Amino acid sequence: MNLSIARLDPGHAFGINGQMVKMTDLAIKNIPQYTLTSAALEDVNVLIIPNFVDQEFLYANKNIIERFLADKNIVVFCGHLFRPWLPGASLFMPERIQHHTDYNIYPQNNTPIFDGVETEDMTVNKGVAGFFARGYYHTTAEQEVHLRFKSGHVVTYVDRHATNGTIVVHAGRPLLGYSGHNKTTDRIRTQFLAFLTQELARLQEAQ
Amino acid sequence: MKKIGVIYSGNEAHYRTFHEPKINQFIEKLIYHPQFVGTDISDLDVLVVPSQLNGELLMQGAQKIREFAANGGTVVAFGPQPWEWIPEQKWKNRETNFWWWLEKDAKSGLVLTAPEHMLFKDFLTLDDCTWHQHGCFWPTDDAEILIATEDGGAIMYDQKLATGGRWIVTTLDPDYHFGSYFMPATERFLEGFFPFLASGK
Repeated sequence: MNLSIARLDPGHAFGINGQMVKMTDLAIKNIPQYTLTSAALEDVNVLIIPNFVDQEFLYANKNIIERFLADKNIVVFCGHLFRPWLPGASLFMPERIQHHTDYNIYPQNNTPIFDGVETEDMTVNKGVAGFFARGYYHTTAEQEVHLRFKSGHVVTYVDRHATNGTIVVHAGRPLLGYSGHNKTTDRIRTQFLAFLTQELARLQEAQ
Repeated sequence: MKKIGVIYSGNEAHYRTFHEPKINQFIEKLIYHPQFVGTDISDLDVLVVPSQLNGELLMQGAQKIREFAANGGTVVAFGPQPWEWIPEQKWKNRETNFWWWLEKDAKSGLVLTAPEHMLFKDFLTLDDCTWHQHGCFWPTDDAEILIATEDGGAIMYDQKLATGGRWIVTTLDPDYHFGSYFMPATERFLEGFFPFLASGK
């Protein structure tokens, strides 16, 4: 089965003037966030939830997220979780920064999403550190870690145990937004899409 | 002390900004945006309309916000405004100057045009308002421009109405940046701006 991606749309100002994720080469179904309760998700297998979303609303309707995951689908959340609407996920923790190298990000466990992506390219933009992520998540032994700060704190992880589906949690900006910057972070978008395709196939093969 | 209400989007940045005790102590009523139209705001003196609100909900509540100001309340608007809801709104979107401070002879592009205004006499400096800007307003002549771009556009203006109401409108979006854990100036901005609102000056 092919990827069928939907994105929950917060309907905010940055979202209407092209400052958010570039989607031109990818068909992504747009779901205005407050229509989630009536949205048809049967034809969707990846739901992307961005950082500007109303998490009070998601918490009040977390059964929809749970049902979507129970159907062996994928939820991707890029942001700072402050309400427990995502199964198995802890809440966001800000990273304590004492030196700019504390923002350094390191790929883990041969991650296919960040394969070949250099720490320098993730951490520094125009000589300034800290744009990639500002905080982290506590994880369990069952959650697969993909990125860590220098401190060891987890920036990105994948959870295949909390539900029948797969949950990707990233304490930073939308992963599909990394392209066209002429550095190794351009690999993230393509590799993330490949990861989603592979993950979807694994979910559908699993009994 | 003036009673301040704030519209709360439920997004991560607003959660942090408006629950932070040093800000929250000035907030009488945090109004969840989907419930705004049905909420009584007649007991408030000031209504803060943050940046990055859901556009549909913003427009649904726009008339109520305008009536609040027309009835003597102070409305504060933060951030870029792609939707027309502020009276005689003339918003000009511009490329954001994220990196001005890395350039040779760095200039923020901001000019403090009203240093005698109470906001700048007692509460904020121009440095506290300086990170980047997403565009500017061209308000009507009865508005006092407090911070301008070098070509005279308004980054912040204060418009006092004959009814006693007031609009304080700025393209700056400290609510988003502080809540997202970046741009240290935004924290100083909020530390000064909320006491200013509470003072009613």
